[in-house]
Amino acid sequence: MSNAAAIRPGRPALPEWVRRLPEYLMIWVPLLLSAAHLISFSLWTIWISFTPSTLVPVSGWVGLRNYTAVAASRNWQIAFDNLLLFGSAFVVLSAATGLILAILLDQRIRGENALRSIFLYPLAVSFVVTGTVWSWLLNPGLGIQKLVHDLGWTSFKFDWLIDRDMAIWTIVIAAIWQSSGFAMALFLAGLRSVDADIVKAAQIDGAGPVRIYRRIVLPSLWPITVTVVVIQLQFAISTFDLVRALTNGGPGIATQLPALVVYDLMFQRSLLGRGAAAAVLMLLILLAVLLPYAAWRYVQRRRALHA
Amino acid sequence: MPITTTRRRLLAGSVATLALPAFARAQSAVKPRLTAISQWSAGSDGAAITALGKKFEEKGGVWQHSPVPGFTTEMMNKLRAQIMAGDPPACSQLKGPEIAAWSKIAPTVDLDAVVAAAGYEKVVAPDLAKLHKPGGKWIALPLQIYSTNMLFLSKRAMDKAKADKIPVTWADFNDLAEKMKAGGVPYPIANGGTRPDDGQKFEAALAGISPLAYRAAIMNLEKKALEGPEIKAAFAQVRKIADWMDPNVGAQHFSTNLKRFIEGDMGMMIMGGWAQGVLRNAGFKLEDFTIAPGPSNNGKPVFLLNADAFIFWQRKEADLQAGQTLMAQLVMDPAIQTMYSQITGSIPVRTDVDLSGEGWSDGQRRTAAALKDAIASNQAVLSLAHNMAQENGMTAAMIDVITEYVKNKTIKPEQAAIRLAEAVEGAR
Repeated sequence: MSNAAAIRPGRPALPEWVRRLPEYLMIWVPLLLSAAHLISFSLWTIWISFTPSTLVPVSGWVGLRNYTAVAASRNWQIAFDNLLLFGSAFVVLSAATGLILAILLDQRIRGENALRSIFLYPLAVSFVVTGTVWSWLLNPGLGIQKLVHDLGWTSFKFDWLIDRDMAIWTIVIAAIWQSSGFAMALFLAGLRSVDADIVKAAQIDGAGPVRIYRRIVLPSLWPITVTVVVIQLQFAISTFDLVRALTNGGPGIATQLPALVVYDLMFQRSLLGRGAAAAVLMLLILLAVLLPYAAWRYVQRRRALHA
Repeated sequence: MPITTTRRRLLAGSVATLALPAFARAQSAVKPRLTAISQWSAGSDGAAITALGKKFEEKGGVWQHSPVPGFTTEMMNKLRAQIMAGDPPACSQLKGPEIAAWSKIAPTVDLDAVVAAAGYEKVVAPDLAKLHKPGGKWIALPLQIYSTNMLFLSKRAMDKAKADKIPVTWADFNDLAEKMKAGGVPYPIANGGTRPDDGQKFEAALAGISPLAYRAAIMNLEKKALEGPEIKAAFAQVRKIADWMDPNVGAQHFSTNLKRFIEGDMGMMIMGGWAQGVLRNAGFKLEDFTIAPGPSNNGKPVFLLNADAFIFWQRKEADLQAGQTLMAQLVMDPAIQTMYSQITGSIPVRTDVDLSGEGWSDGQRRTAAALKDAIASNQAVLSLAHNMAQENGMTAAMIDVITEYVKNKTIKPEQAAIRLAEAVEGAR
């Protein structure tokens, strides 16, 4: 049965659980530790959000007062609206960019490896770096606008960074630059796993490339699309460093996002209770994305088993 | 091996040298020791506190300073953790109303006896003294002072405007800005785009229009004053200032534009006294700019106080207690304050230090004179933008309104005043 028993036949075989002890240790200890960490701190945060804590955590009960205060604050309302806009625009556009890049790369072109590395490279850069670099590029007095002006087109205008209504789009741009390579990699793997026989059959039947993509390849990609969307969404919800480096919530408070509000409440305003309440609200938003995804995965698996 | 022997010998030797003075002092008393945390790790701030530590050691103390670089909030996080663990530092950086707030979460040292022995109280601005004795007893000591509303004038921009008079009132200031604009200075106001930057413009405007209204509305949060005409007038002045700024600065730090300021591309800057140190560090000459007190409509200087301070946390250890006494004596010492301010570019807390000697700049002399005059005419008030007037939560709520107003030109001064009053109510 086991190798140890086969090599030294003289010895009695160890009990099953002892032989598998290393595996159990490898899997369960880190899993339990991180689960305990996650769960205990989440519960702690939830508890704090119901207390009157300010500078330091204190016990006491204020009911939903922290939640109503956060929800009524201008900062949170702006942050929530921004999240809806930023989240949907970023997810849709980065998935679309990733998909287009993947399809173009899938044409068996020369230098595919090099191009793939180039597109994936931004993912290796820290968000703070991305934010800082884009804050220079997008600054009208330093970056793209100035370059075009210096080239002679002086009526050119690209000042979204300092425009209250458009500033949130600069974060979308930087985030897409950073993570569309990731979507591309996933889509590319999906494209490569499409059954070549079906594609051949379609070609023999006389279908053009556009039709093949539209009717055969793209429909088989949709499980990957869901994965990409969910991963990007949870990134969007927890965005902090990018916006902090790029606009720091400005101009004014026009580009606030929930994570910035949590940090601001907890560490700049020293309102631990309200910060915790904002953090719990963020967790709820995340759950609103992740729970349907988990349910969908569950249904998929059941369907696969019964098929 | 020969190397090991040398190392061992070296070690033994150094242990002996270290132990010797300690042994010599052991009979007399405990050796004062101080554990301190602050955010000052680099630049002139780091140099100044290192120099202070040297003085502490010269007096026979053990100096254990752990800097937490970065924002003040990060230093506060470390302080919070240490207090919650029951192991606060003997002394830590903290300033403004936060001293009162934090003194409620852990016991502090009563410094009344040391302060009285030094006769310190009569040489400190009254509003400043109040902040450091929240329960009526001194628990913290201010270290250095900056004014947040100094007016910096670019020599080259002044030449372009053919002006040589330093503006005294806001009307003078506005005239000069118009002249600069007409004389070919594209942006009469140099600025950054950070929250404190925006806050400083507002506090300078309001305090310059009426120090009384500033005290009532911003420091005492009186409802009537918050809805008063001075607030609207201050917002209107801020709009003028905002229209003269370069809109492209985004969220940049004010220091990004210093070169353009010196070159006369930008004319005036309302900034704290620390900008002098930044300008000199950047290699600009003192002849390139003039520093004067910020505009004041009644002609007498208005001083918006920003002061760094140390708070002392209760410890049982005899050596730490001795260290706290020594540190308190040093911080109040005019010679130490002179040394510290000459390194950082601030002015001493003591109003009786003579700044006529070497090592002081004209800007520092003018700032110190402004402080003296402002105290005499009761026009020394506490800065909102730099967390001196209110606790952090209230400050942030008010700055939210101000920074949005500076960046959003569709908000009317009247609306901004209403929003400010609402923000104060919401944060109470």
